[in-house]
Amino acid sequence: MRHVVSVLFLSVGICVPVLAADGPVVPNFIEETATAGVDAVYEGDWEFMVGGGVAAFDCSEDGFADLYVAGGSAAAHFYRNVSDVGGKLRFERFEAGLELEGVTGAYPIDIDSDGITDLAVLRVGENVLMRGLGGCRFERANEAWGFDGGEAWSTALAATWERGASWPTLAVGNYIDRKEEGFPWGSCTDNWLHRPAAGANRFGTPFALKPSYCALSMLFTDWNRSGTPSLRVSNDREYYKGGQEQLWRIEPGATPSLYTPEEGWERLRIWGMGIASYDLDADGYPEYFLTSMADNKLQTLASGEDPSPRPTYADTAFAKGVTAHRPYVGDNLRPSTAWHAQFEDVNNDGLADLFVAKGNVAKMPDFAEEDPNNLLLQRPDGTFEEAGDRAGVASVEIGRGAALADLNLDGLLDLVVVNRWHTAQTWRNTGGDTGRWLQVRLEQDAPNRDALGAWIEVRCGDTVLRREVSSGGGHAGGQSGWHHFGLGDEAKGEIRVIWPDGDAGAWQDFDADGFYLLRRGAAPTAWTPG
Amino acid sequence: MKRFATAMLAGVAMSLTLSAAAHAEGKIIGVSWSNFQEERWKTDEAAMKAAIEGAGNTYISADAQSSAAKQLTDVEALISQGANALIILAQDASAIGPAVENAVAEGIPVVGYDRLIENENAFYLTFDNKEVGRMQARAVFEVAPEGNYAFIKGSSADPNADFLFSGQMEVLKEAIDSGAIKNVGEAYTDGWLPANAQRNMEQILTQNNNEVDAVVASNDGTAGGVVAALEAQGLAGSVPVSGQDGDHAALNRVALGTQTVSVWKDARELGKAAAEIANQLSEGTAMDGVEGAMKWSDGPNGVEMNAIFLSPNPITRDNLNEVIDAGWVSKEVVCQGVAAGTVAACD
Repeated sequence: MRHVVSVLFLSVGICVPVLAADGPVVPNFIEETATAGVDAVYEGDWEFMVGGGVAAFDCSEDGFADLYVAGGSAAAHFYRNVSDVGGKLRFERFEAGLELEGVTGAYPIDIDSDGITDLAVLRVGENVLMRGLGGCRFERANEAWGFDGGEAWSTALAATWERGASWPTLAVGNYIDRKEEGFPWGSCTDNWLHRPAAGANRFGTPFALKPSYCALSMLFTDWNRSGTPSLRVSNDREYYKGGQEQLWRIEPGATPSLYTPEEGWERLRIWGMGIASYDLDADGYPEYFLTSMADNKLQTLASGEDPSPRPTYADTAFAKGVTAHRPYVGDNLRPSTAWHAQFEDVNNDGLADLFVAKGNVAKMPDFAEEDPNNLLLQRPDGTFEEAGDRAGVASVEIGRGAALADLNLDGLLDLVVVNRWHTAQTWRNTGGDTGRWLQVRLEQDAPNRDALGAWIEVRCGDTVLRREVSSGGGHAGGQSGWHHFGLGDEAKGEIRVIWPDGDAGAWQDFDADGFYLLRRGAAPTAWTPG
Repeated sequence: MKRFATAMLAGVAMSLTLSAAAHAEGKIIGVSWSNFQEERWKTDEAAMKAAIEGAGNTYISADAQSSAAKQLTDVEALISQGANALIILAQDASAIGPAVENAVAEGIPVVGYDRLIENENAFYLTFDNKEVGRMQARAVFEVAPEGNYAFIKGSSADPNADFLFSGQMEVLKEAIDSGAIKNVGEAYTDGWLPANAQRNMEQILTQNNNEVDAVVASNDGTAGGVVAALEAQGLAGSVPVSGQDGDHAALNRVALGTQTVSVWKDARELGKAAAEIANQLSEGTAMDGVEGAMKWSDGPNGVEMNAIFLSPNPITRDNLNEVIDAGWVSKEVVCQGVAAGTVAACD
């Protein structure tokens, strides 16, 4: 094991938690949909029953996250963040060159490593890579980058830089054959792996990841800390025949291969819609939350580490209180339908919490029609309690994609949820008795300037908080920019980065309640908005 | 398999019901419901409980509240409560496997109730869906032995839809082969929704210039959509239509004459049969020794299982009294708007 240090901290401690007497502090989310200016609606008929993602990233270089929201059959919209620090959320629609129709979602990635974020846009029809030009303007780059956008119904994306590569590898998840509206069952189309062309800074011919089972979320993740991320694919059992969840071994230069039952991968069939990951138990290995219909799953590595972990996972969702399988407000007892999921510390108590966007497919009679979003707050013992209603985010609109991000740079994570047939909703987190925080941005020399595949470790009190830097997962939308940590009452801590090539940086001191740029090989640089 | 620790059960919200009428020497039958708040299972439970207690055994139960994960712990809890046999209504048949394996390892027999748990160690009890399809076709065929037939099938995502259709075709095959009957349109109904059935029926009527002589609809919801489409063309009542479930509105249509048959599955029969099977199994009877058990392997994975398929009951104008007498529905509901002297059960 290369990452020996990571397993030294076995006890799941916390950073002097801020705790209310009767449980975790419930942060106040104030809905500002009416004034925030994000007026996108995810429109469309059956080809847009899934998707509806939002990408959060900074293209105006002011540190504030801008938003790009899928519009389905309507045009997608870009919104520039014009909020003040700690102020009300304010966005202005801006012609960025991204106003495409048929968009299901998007992920921000600096593909050409020029220091300006690009955007991978997923569509019903041709997927488009949009090159960032600076100043939040974008231009189509499929031809320049040799990217075959296909013509499928695309619903998932994940990015990685394979070892030694100067150009990223993108996995694109494709859904039902859209020509089979009359009988879509069993018509899942191939997912594509876009690897770099040999010796060139462009993509080669895409490789079909057979078999494919109607992917709705994909994530490159170093599940066994081998230094080489694998590709997790969450699939929708409503439409596949004989399918299951998948884990692809993606070794540089080798043909991708699926992990098998002999290697420990167990057959799991869910209505997979979204993946969130976080090392919840501080053992150095990520846990995975998989959204579905009815029960959601929380997978934790079940095999020992000797000689190296096997990809066998136990479902701890019920024990941890995160099955989130039916509405917790209202009197509807039918099961619910979950989409985007994201682990973030919304009350800055040093414990990652979990947000889940909910909403019926359309009007499926066997599932709850009024299906509130979940905000599950982690307790010190590792279980979670529902606080969506108390926090104010229990909307029963038909949720899809979402982003938890600090949109006004006050240290508290705000929320945007994209809704089917209804205006996206925006909430400002105004906190309460919340704790301290830290936000960092990574930077290394090209290629892979944003350091996808790195691990950020924050030593805080007697524990180490640990995040994998990735682009993928969630439901049809991702983020780049600040990585957020809640710190409880800790005023100081130490941070280090294990860079994508495995090189562990030195532990460096930081003061809480601030932003830092972490440039590889340099001391952390404090950053202040404005 | 080691016996699970009781500590695992800490904090698990259980709804265990211990019968007051328990006999000390009797067996304990544990029933795991998928979502007991759904009204329809209350009828099943009453019949089940009565037959379990009538045999001197004890009924205990747990409610998974729609969570497959909770159901796994529910089954463990029922086992720890000393269940000698289990009846499981699976929330998610593909996720219940570990619970069945636990039970089998403990030597506790399992009855899969209504929903298939495809495991060679589980007993399968449900209504005969193929027979439902046959009954639907028979009732319509009796009224319209020849002519243009439309088939409004169920949701293609539901395996039952195909069981039903294959039963229907079994009955009508000869007449189709001889040319007496012509299939002029068939359509799956997305989500079993009446509105989708109505749209499909409207299309079939348009395509055939309204020349449709009979409609085999797979349940009462879709039959409702069909009748609405027929009504718009002034054809309701003259074209026979099938259905199933004994929906109250459908039984009223049967009385009014706009629907020919509703195949009714009496939940009390299913509950009682499950109890009787579990009673026998708890006494050590082998699965293939259960009275009426047959071998069956028509599940998606072809696993051979012991099974009992109850015969449903086709309700037509002539035997509407059966649903009323059973307390399934009131006479007022069935007979609303029915002209005096047209239906015996309404007089």
